[in-house]
Amino acid sequence: MGYLTLVRRNLRRNRLRTALTAASITLSIFLVCAVLSLPSGFTAIHDRLAAGTRFLVHNKAGITYLMPYGSLQQIRAVPGGTAATSFSRFGGVYDEPKNLFPNFSVDAETVGDIWPDFQISPQAIADFRRYRDAALVGYQTMRTFHWKVGDRVTLRSTVWPVQLDFRIVGELPEPHGNPMWFLFSRTYLEEAVRAKGLSAEQAGMIWVRVADPADVPPVMRRIDDLFRNSDAETASETEKSFFESFMSSLSGLTNVILAVGFLVVVAVVFITANTCSMAIRERAAEIAMLKALGFRRSVILGLLLAETLALAIGGGAVGAFGAYGVLKLLAALGATGARPGLGPLSMFLVTPWHVVEGIGLSLLVGVVAGVFPSWGAARKPVAEALREVF
Amino acid sequence: MIHLSNVSRHFRRGPDVIKALDRVTLEIQAGRFVALMGPSGSGKSTLLNILSGIDRADEGEVEVAGQRLTGLSEDELAVWRARHVGLVFQFYNLMPVLSACENVELPLLLTDLSRPERRRRAELALEVVGLMRERFEHLPGALSGGEQQRVAIARAIVTDPDLIVADEPTGDLDARSADQVLALLSELNREFEKTIVLVTHDPRALRWVQAIYHLDKGSLLEGVEATRATQAVEQTLGVPPRSAAR
Repeated sequence: MGYLTLVRRNLRRNRLRTALTAASITLSIFLVCAVLSLPSGFTAIHDRLAAGTRFLVHNKAGITYLMPYGSLQQIRAVPGGTAATSFSRFGGVYDEPKNLFPNFSVDAETVGDIWPDFQISPQAIADFRRYRDAALVGYQTMRTFHWKVGDRVTLRSTVWPVQLDFRIVGELPEPHGNPMWFLFSRTYLEEAVRAKGLSAEQAGMIWVRVADPADVPPVMRRIDDLFRNSDAETASETEKSFFESFMSSLSGLTNVILAVGFLVVVAVVFITANTCSMAIRERAAEIAMLKALGFRRSVILGLLLAETLALAIGGGAVGAFGAYGVLKLLAALGATGARPGLGPLSMFLVTPWHVVEGIGLSLLVGVVAGVFPSWGAARKPVAEALREVF
Repeated sequence: MIHLSNVSRHFRRGPDVIKALDRVTLEIQAGRFVALMGPSGSGKSTLLNILSGIDRADEGEVEVAGQRLTGLSEDELAVWRARHVGLVFQFYNLMPVLSACENVELPLLLTDLSRPERRRRAELALEVVGLMRERFEHLPGALSGGEQQRVAIARAIVTDPDLIVADEPTGDLDARSADQVLALLSELNREFEKTIVLVTHDPRALRWVQAIYHLDKGSLLEGVEATRATQAVEQTLGVPPRSAAR
């Protein structure tokens, strides 16, 4: 028998209590590791989606405000731009209301020019131009709904009072294409809306492509200058800044989640400290006996602290590696499309460094929770400890 | 072996100061088996704690096994106890999560002995106290009171200490087990020449010990008072009178 045996046996003394305490640490560290993956996940999404030679024009009042469709022609005429397309939200749902995903009407003839980095097949681009009801669909959405090229699908709009049938002519392929988008021709939408006595002569946003990243700022400036003091002033921003502003709207939420995760860890420190105090109090007679046998205060402190640290690190390691495994599994599931809605989760990965941070945090939990009750028990003079218990 | 000179120990309880020991002077030769007796609160356990290095005297000089204990720090006393003192408690105080053999091995963790050597010595100590081998791996909860006290005694002797102190070792045992424990302590004294100091209320101890020291209200009884106290104990047992240590 050695000191480790003593620590191990003491941990097994009240198995339920040990298991529950370890489980609380496991869950808190799991949560912290999962939360730690959020910022890097958002960055990964952002880096993946943003291209340096593309920018976005939207109503200066905000992206929910529309612009006249005629603005597109004026923008195309601005020197420096190589291509431009309208990009309007359709808000279509497939089959059931829960099957909501990003779908947009675009100008069919320009798709290949605006998103060459998506590496859409030439055949798909040609078919997209040829058929008025053609659709190009992100690989993730294809998998989610088990669609394949050639399928016909119907989307019911939540923006317009129409329901449109589409033929899928191609995919926005992995890994370069947007995984979620569903793109279709604006003229097809315009016809359907006009049949209802309405007009869709508006654009939600306009994507513009330039030849060189260096051209982006001057062309953006020219476009905004062009519409200054008009009924629909524009605000141009790079694809990167657009996604950054979108992500920054989520950063507040991320901070709240991080704060909640931190508070959970603090709560777990208190729970663990309380458990340690209880365990030490219950064993006051044994601790007094160990001191009487000649165990020095440092050895007693080490033994008691080792129990708390073993519990914390054990629970923390399970939580950290659990988060690593679970998010990896979710990412794999999301990539296969087996679970609709898991798609973006493929970007949220717990890295090995997050695992190290999680285990480090559990070590801190163990030290903070264990040091005070352990030190209190260890420093008590042996005669006083014996008098209290006998 | 044990030299106490004018040892006093006071405890503060609220505004009151209680004299647990009042200028006690005591000398016990090596290899003796002696008992400290007296009513509750007479200072027996306090005296035992001081001469075993568990507690420190407020006044006076304490020297045990050639070591002056006065002035040693808590940790220095712990190291000294681990080398020189074996302790036996009334309620055994075995670790419930360790087997009998592991409990005996516990004080050896403080030595430089190898794991197999620690194990060998623990088994030897258990054999000396007469615990059946098949009980070596039992947890304390699976042992009788007498067996648990044997394990506690084995734990006290496993480091081969100069001094064994036992605080009411028979207090929680039936008559038969109490006799066996006293006989065992006596045997350790005779066979291994261990100095044993026993605190007890048990008059049966008189049959085994070589001397009795009586304490009352923190003072060591001497002369006629000590003789009368010893005779009172002997009458309880129904044995012919003999002299007290003092």
